[in-house]
Amino acid sequence: MRAKSRPPVIAVTGGKGGTGKSTVAVNLAAGLSASGLKVMLVDADVDGPSCASLLGLKLEAGKEVKTFLPIIDEKKCVGCRKCVEVCPEHALVGLQGEVPRLFEELCSGCRACQIVCGHFAVREGGKTIGTIYIKSTDGITLVAGELVPTEPRSPVVARATVLHAMSELQNGGYDLAIIDTAPGVHNTVAQPLWVSDYALAVTEPTPLGAHDLGFILDLTEELELPVGIVLNKADIPGGLKNELLKTAHERGVNVVAEIPLDREVLHSYMAGIPVVKKAPDSPAGRSLRYLVSLVGKMLEEGKI
Amino acid sequence: MKEIVVASGKGGVGKTTVAASLAVLLNRWGLGVFTVDADVDAPDLSLALGGGKTVFSMEVAASRKAEVDSKKCIGCGKCLQVCPFGAMIKTNDGKATVVALMCEGCGVCKLVCPAGAIKVKNAPTGTITVEETKYGFMCATGKLRLGEHNSGHLVATIRNLARRKAQDTGSKVIVIDAAPGIGCPVIASIAGANYVIAVTEPTPAAKRNLERLSRVVKHFGVPAGVVINMSGSSGDFETVLKKWVEHELGFQVLGEIPVDYEVVKALAHMTPVVDFNPDAEASKSLVSIAERVREML
Repeated sequence: MRAKSRPPVIAVTGGKGGTGKSTVAVNLAAGLSASGLKVMLVDADVDGPSCASLLGLKLEAGKEVKTFLPIIDEKKCVGCRKCVEVCPEHALVGLQGEVPRLFEELCSGCRACQIVCGHFAVREGGKTIGTIYIKSTDGITLVAGELVPTEPRSPVVARATVLHAMSELQNGGYDLAIIDTAPGVHNTVAQPLWVSDYALAVTEPTPLGAHDLGFILDLTEELELPVGIVLNKADIPGGLKNELLKTAHERGVNVVAEIPLDREVLHSYMAGIPVVKKAPDSPAGRSLRYLVSLVGKMLEEGKI
Repeated sequence: MKEIVVASGKGGVGKTTVAASLAVLLNRWGLGVFTVDADVDAPDLSLALGGGKTVFSMEVAASRKAEVDSKKCIGCGKCLQVCPFGAMIKTNDGKATVVALMCEGCGVCKLVCPAGAIKVKNAPTGTITVEETKYGFMCATGKLRLGEHNSGHLVATIRNLARRKAQDTGSKVIVIDAAPGIGCPVIASIAGANYVIAVTEPTPAAKRNLERLSRVVKHFGVPAGVVINMSGSSGDFETVLKKWVEHELGFQVLGEIPVDYEVVKALAHMTPVVDFNPDAEASKSLVSIAERVREML
């Protein structure tokens, strides 16, 4: 899937929640956009999306993400139970000679039932499990995926969001895409990392930050994805910066930027304006601008 | 026995901090506590409780993964077309291979393969470890394998195990530290529980994700209360947030925890803040929140 013919894709990830992934992603997008690049920002944290809030955007009229749901045609079904036997989620139940019954919440939409049915009795049905919103602001195009609350299949929505973004990226004249991932290392995170060329792992100097950073570095290693660490809230009182730097060193991964604790980050968060625009000369603003120039240089030199 | 779930739509708002301190306090008050870390992706509760002595561990193998026999594969590409997860890719020799990280084991590839080259095999999902913490109560931790997807199953397994063990040890309360978000592991944590403590912070993004979480909580009919963490940092917005929680969401605000670097110091010492520094402002808030939870129990 990593087609070199398309513009570069940078994932912003990190393992632990709330370390500042979205803050870094949004500021990187705003900074690179201000330097003249056409930037696509993808919010793939479909469980808990934040990019729109951080950019002060209201999302409306999105594209629905649908999964397949079988509709059993009672006239055509011969009650052979082939679909019942093959369903990996045991979402279809029925006795020999009966029309099977579907337990909708168990269905993964894999279509195994439709594939095995020899009587064309499994018709096309669908269920909306997510929404993909597209909105442009200030030179940034935001592609944001959101899971419909009470639906469990976040990875499917993340995948649909990423695929949609990648096809737009190919055709839309963009210079790059930045993907903000969900916390964790599960499939919802693996999907965006899979299409990325470089990852920034945002972490914080606490034992939990260090612990979860280890997981994300395992995942980037498995995917052979180059990665740099962004140490956020670097100087938090009582923090363990040195321990974290040691972990990074042991894993052979560079800390590419440190962002100090700065109330301007919260203020910009509240205002829905990126720090690099709202308070470019604040301590965090300077660090983020440094990160922007670093990534800009890597892009120029073809390192991403 | 009551199951209390500490959840949050947005990550990093303080679930583990609240869960660890709540467990220590309820245990101190003689309720008999059993803790569960259901953030199977990035479990941190045991760390926040200072680690412990492993008393039990087990592998959970509920996953399935496809495997392609390259000798039999004829390179027709049918499996690539049907795989719902994008887990099938073509190698340089034109044959199909499985990216195990992406595969959910549904087996549609096997169904369409004309060469009989694909097998679907059982695979490990993750591990469950039960540790005895220094506070005397147990902490059961689920850890999903890298990029694995069967989180709901692992959470359900660990909750069942916790209920059994809690019964054996006479525990009255199970405190479950849930994953961030509202997806599969969170649904598996919330469904059938007795109470949800939704942790949030006074920012627009956290508010929006609290609203999303509230829809899941209401869907499963579980009563809930809200803890506003890092309060005192955003002025008017906080007043608006509190009103919104009570009037729009219809949840009670259990309490507010002020910004307090003692929380970070406590984390660095891998000790719940109520134990690390009982006089800290955050600790006082946590005590009052835990008292309200005790009253409800």
